[in-house]
Amino acid sequence: MAALCPSCHKPAGPRPGNKSAPFCSPRCRQVDLGRWLGEEYRVPDRPLDAEPEQPRPASAPAQDEDGR
Amino acid sequence: MNGISKPAAEASTTSGPAEYGTAQITVLEGLEAVRKRPSMYIGDTNVYGLHHLVYEVVDNSVDEALAGFCTTLAVTIHVDGSVSVKDNGRGIPVGPHPTVHGMDTVDVVMTKLHAGGKFENSAYKVSGGLHGVGVSCVNALSEWLRLEIQRNGKVYEQRYARGIPQQQVAEVGVTDGRGTTVWFKPDPTIFETTDISFDTLSQRLRELAFLNAGLSITITDERTSKSHSFQFDGGIVSFVEYLNKSKETLHPPIFFKAVKDDVALEIAMQWNDGYDERIYTFANNINTHEGGSHLVGFKSALTRSINAYAERGGVWKDLKEAPTGEDAREGLAAVISVKLANPQFEGQTKTKLGNSELKGLVEQMVNESLGNFLEENPGAARKIMAKIGDATRGRIAARKARETVRRKGALDGLSLPGKLADCQSKDPSESELYIVEGDSAGGSAKQGRDRRNQAILPLKGKILNVEKARFEKMLTSGEIVALITALGTGVGREDYDPTAARYHRIILMTDADVDGSHIRTLLLTFFYRQMPELIAKGYLYIAQPPLYKVTRGKKELFLKDQRSLDEYLLRIAMERAVVETSAGELKGPALRALLERVAQYQDRLAKLSRRRDPRVLDALVQAARIDETTLLDMDALARQVEAMHAWMGERTPDVLGHLKTFRKDDPEHQAKKLVFRTEMNGSPRETVVDHAFLTSPEYAELVALREVFAQGGPPPYRVRFEESEASAKSVQEILAAVRADASRGLAIQRFKGLGEMNPEQLWDTTMNPETRTLLQVRVEDAVESDDIFALLMGEAVEPRREFIEKNALDVQNLDI
Repeated sequence: MAALCPSCHKPAGPRPGNKSAPFCSPRCRQVDLGRWLGEEYRVPDRPLDAEPEQPRPASAPAQDEDGR
Repeated sequence: MNGISKPAAEASTTSGPAEYGTAQITVLEGLEAVRKRPSMYIGDTNVYGLHHLVYEVVDNSVDEALAGFCTTLAVTIHVDGSVSVKDNGRGIPVGPHPTVHGMDTVDVVMTKLHAGGKFENSAYKVSGGLHGVGVSCVNALSEWLRLEIQRNGKVYEQRYARGIPQQQVAEVGVTDGRGTTVWFKPDPTIFETTDISFDTLSQRLRELAFLNAGLSITITDERTSKSHSFQFDGGIVSFVEYLNKSKETLHPPIFFKAVKDDVALEIAMQWNDGYDERIYTFANNINTHEGGSHLVGFKSALTRSINAYAERGGVWKDLKEAPTGEDAREGLAAVISVKLANPQFEGQTKTKLGNSELKGLVEQMVNESLGNFLEENPGAARKIMAKIGDATRGRIAARKARETVRRKGALDGLSLPGKLADCQSKDPSESELYIVEGDSAGGSAKQGRDRRNQAILPLKGKILNVEKARFEKMLTSGEIVALITALGTGVGREDYDPTAARYHRIILMTDADVDGSHIRTLLLTFFYRQMPELIAKGYLYIAQPPLYKVTRGKKELFLKDQRSLDEYLLRIAMERAVVETSAGELKGPALRALLERVAQYQDRLAKLSRRRDPRVLDALVQAARIDETTLLDMDALARQVEAMHAWMGERTPDVLGHLKTFRKDDPEHQAKKLVFRTEMNGSPRETVVDHAFLTSPEYAELVALREVFAQGGPPPYRVRFEESEASAKSVQEILAAVRADASRGLAIQRFKGLGEMNPEQLWDTTMNPETRTLLQVRVEDAVESDDIFALLMGEAVEPRREFIEKNALDVQNLDI
């Protein structure tokens, strides 16, 4: 299963054969860079005024910490 | 070589010797000029001019093909460096020339400059005929030239030396065929080199074969026995396919032709998924390397047609600026061939088409035909538009990246970002860069660090309100540029140099909560995509700030995760607790070993609790003695269920209150199965105890742990502490009691933000190389990060929300 280029979603070969990996081409890497600099990449965040998460009792399992 | 003939001149082959002599004088006058200034006629006397001789002869044959009389053409490079060109055209007319008194037409063609049909346009409607210098130039510049003509069933021969006829045209035999063979040897006293290149000729002959659909051209090099045959029935469509032969093409070639005002135009074009633009233009078969009016017309019409189509279809709405001609031509292979009566060749090498009327003509034809093609082939159009859109985005992105990075000085290495607190060392191998999210954490890190080799770059994510209750965080371009600048590597196609990294440890330090992990995912993805070499070199790390702070009296302790906290509590417990069991006293390491098993037991129960009620399972394991064979024995089963009920009655009476126990058939195992219906947090839950569960490794593990607990005898147990004591009805209650006692006098605080630590604490727990833990990011981690990132970026809101809620992008996700 070939990895897909993060920019164009076409198959992109691995290194060292493909120097642009994980992209398929230098162009697609450049497009991605443009998106970073164009502030197009965002991750979810909680609202500014949301309650901070409550400290959790010491015995509680650490896994379920989404707090939303 | 008959491109040179006047078909009107048809006569017998008689020329008197006396007349021949007079004619020779005129010949010498013309050809002497060519030999004196050869460069004026053929460009130069080097490689270019040398090959030009061959083209001149070949083009005459091709003209005969254009006129419809020639179908094959054979070029041979002979061992002595001479070249012969043989065609099956009409053959040069033989016989007294009608107007040049006393000369055979053959000699007129071969020796008089500007002789031949193509200058009067009648014999050849269109003609490449190299810029009008004619085959007589070839003759003049050849040490010798031999001509063989097959015409009217006869074979004629003539020989020249440096252009001068050596005899009268002679009839030497009979034939069924027709055509002309010109065999000549470039004059070494004229040319600086006489080494004819097979490859150079092949390339030109291939072009000619493309441009003249169906014409068969062979080339043979007798010096090396190399040979090629070219014949392309598809014409310039085949040419385009040839140009794209190793490429992924987006659609079948587009072809259109038109004739207007005595100009014939053919265009074939096809986009591939590459980036090169390859447009070949020809006028009357001449490769117009320097372009000219036809190319200008094509380019402007292409850009306009594409943009017009895009506007009608509303594609590219996302583009911030319209595609340029270069965008439109990215990955385009095209061949433009025009044939016209009076080509004007200009430019340095006379390979630029000057006929200005052609620009508008080509434009009009392309506008119509390409526009129609796009309308009629929506599938191909969509792909072409997508490709051009990509090209445009790529160009804008590249430019933006370059401008942003350069403008902000990320490349000169002199102006480090203002918020970077750099380290004193300039040796990358010992220098560390902490990338810290959040200003307050950045401040603590700056104060707490070892400034000798630890640099701090605080980054602040910008929060955006995208919907009413949905917020997103991003890194501004300024932050990214600051990061790149601090790293010193530059970025992008031309400017990126991973070996210039100023730090060989780049440590991501983000809050230990979901948002912190999102920011870390963002950063990891950036490195993975734009600076993967740094990850491959092992430069990238994740800091491990503690999750818990434990205060005991005046002492503060930081514990990095739940497991460390449990271990810590057990350590305290074993210092001061003693457990009395019917088998004796348990304390110290033995107690600790037991409690670790209890913790393990609880952990396993918790894992099984997704589909079952852990309290029922606990009773099943601890009170009952059931295995898969018990399911076959009704009485035994009833006794065990009773024992479970008793166990629960004592410990979890509320569960028993709602419990409904069923015995059901399990025909697959010819046995029964037990189903316990309970309520957990208000919702019903069914715990199925069947053959499958009782034979599962999970159950076996629980039973094994029970056997360990059993060594302490049956409950109840007494737990004695320094100042108090407690009773425990199960091993779990022992654990809970000792934990409660151990926690007494302790303040346990769950850290979320790095900012909750003061500088010294941050140093002690997270930054001090003596005591800290760093996770080195491997490429696989980064791949996973990119996958998570892709999900976070995903268009589909639902799967994304589900993913976030389910996995909570838990810190552990990336830390494994």
